[in-house]
Amino acid sequence: MPTDDIRDTSDAILVVAIGRYRQEALAEAYRRHAGAVFALARRLLVDRAMAEEVTQEVFLRLWHRPDRFDPERGSLRSFLLAQTHGRSVDILRSEVSRRRREERDARETAEAGYDIEHEVVDLAVADEVRAAMDILPPGERAAIELAYFGGHTYREVASLLDEPEGTVKSRIRSGLRRLRTVLVDAGIGGAP
Amino acid sequence: MSGSYSHQDIQELLGAFALDAVDADERDVIEVHLAACPRCRAEVAGHRETAALLAHRGDTAPEGVWDRIAEALDEAPPALDLARIAPGGDELAERRSAGVLPRSVPLRVAAATMAVAAALTLFVGVALGRRDRGDLNRLDSAVEAMQQAGVANAATVALADPHAEQVKLASTDGKATAQIVRLPDGTGYLMPTGLPALPGGRVYQLWAVRSDAKISLGVLGANPQVSAFRMAGPVVAYAVTDEAAGGVGASQNQPVLVGYVKS
Repeated sequence: MPTDDIRDTSDAILVVAIGRYRQEALAEAYRRHAGAVFALARRLLVDRAMAEEVTQEVFLRLWHRPDRFDPERGSLRSFLLAQTHGRSVDILRSEVSRRRREERDARETAEAGYDIEHEVVDLAVADEVRAAMDILPPGERAAIELAYFGGHTYREVASLLDEPEGTVKSRIRSGLRRLRTVLVDAGIGGAP
Repeated sequence: MSGSYSHQDIQELLGAFALDAVDADERDVIEVHLAACPRCRAEVAGHRETAALLAHRGDTAPEGVWDRIAEALDEAPPALDLARIAPGGDELAERRSAGVLPRSVPLRVAAATMAVAAALTLFVGVALGRRDRGDLNRLDSAVEAMQQAGVANAATVALADPHAEQVKLASTDGKATAQIVRLPDGTGYLMPTGLPALPGGRVYQLWAVRSDAKISLGVLGANPQVSAFRMAGPVVAYAVTDEAAGGVGASQNQPVLVGYVKS
């Protein structure tokens, strides 16, 4: 496809072009999604250089294995963000950073109790998404925020919130389902 | 492990799984389950879509990251993967309108295809078996040298043919390369440069990759020289792999050299 057409093409076709080693198609995918990828990695890892590395890795992985993306399963953005989240969480859970984070969490919990709000304080989500989060029961909202933006396992979330593990597990699932319903009703988050 | 998880247990974990919030052992169990359960796969996909909406919309990506990505693309040709071999122009146009991707093609060659490939293969450049018996050994060497010189000459002539297909193959580090030239009648030559000699029990093997199959063009030996082959029909890419002596019908190894035919 000529370069001029790249900007008008769908994400799914972009990935086909990436499969044919069209570097400009990867560049366009990067232009569309790298901001969100980097922001999520930065949100989780805080460290800018590490977030940049994850961003680089996610797009190189798309270049080398475009077949991993199945447009029938979801959007390219959710695919890239899932990769970003998984990789960032792997880094977070590596031994060194785990220890550091546990110390930090312990300190914060001891000093002021765990402040759920600090997990979303600089979260620039669209108004609709923010409103949808607001309609969630506080328990579901906290569980999702700590898991997704804090990179915690549901067991860690249970410990942080002093709730049973089973309860947290269920709240994450029911909260995500509730959010989806609300967002689809609001006209976003429907078809990928 | 999975025996201790009921379907319901796994379903209850799907939200946490979609957010990477399960332990490693639970993740393994769920992944095995997902491979066989489209309903749970769809639920995870839905959760991930929702999570993606929660993520920061993001501004522009930081400067310099794209440059590093582009640099990495230039320095290392991607590993050969048949899944990447997208359909031809017409099919692409159809898929473009349908909005679907080409499906992965398994990296296997069926027995029938192998038989066809064997029939298509004419390999002159393989190392001749050496016999440690004085004159006979010297005669073999002389024949081999003559054949080698003949093949090399033919390859040089083919390179000058304006209708020949020419493909440059390279290793990921760029240290080893090869030139392939294939004449319209299907006769082709491989001219390797910088391929390290393999230890005993290992040989190089040449492959032609078509959109539907990967066809062996022959075993090149442990220290390949200019080699001839025959391959009819369109080829998407050529690859050289490192295999056990005797070669294989279907390679599971990453290629040592790879080069794509310019369309």
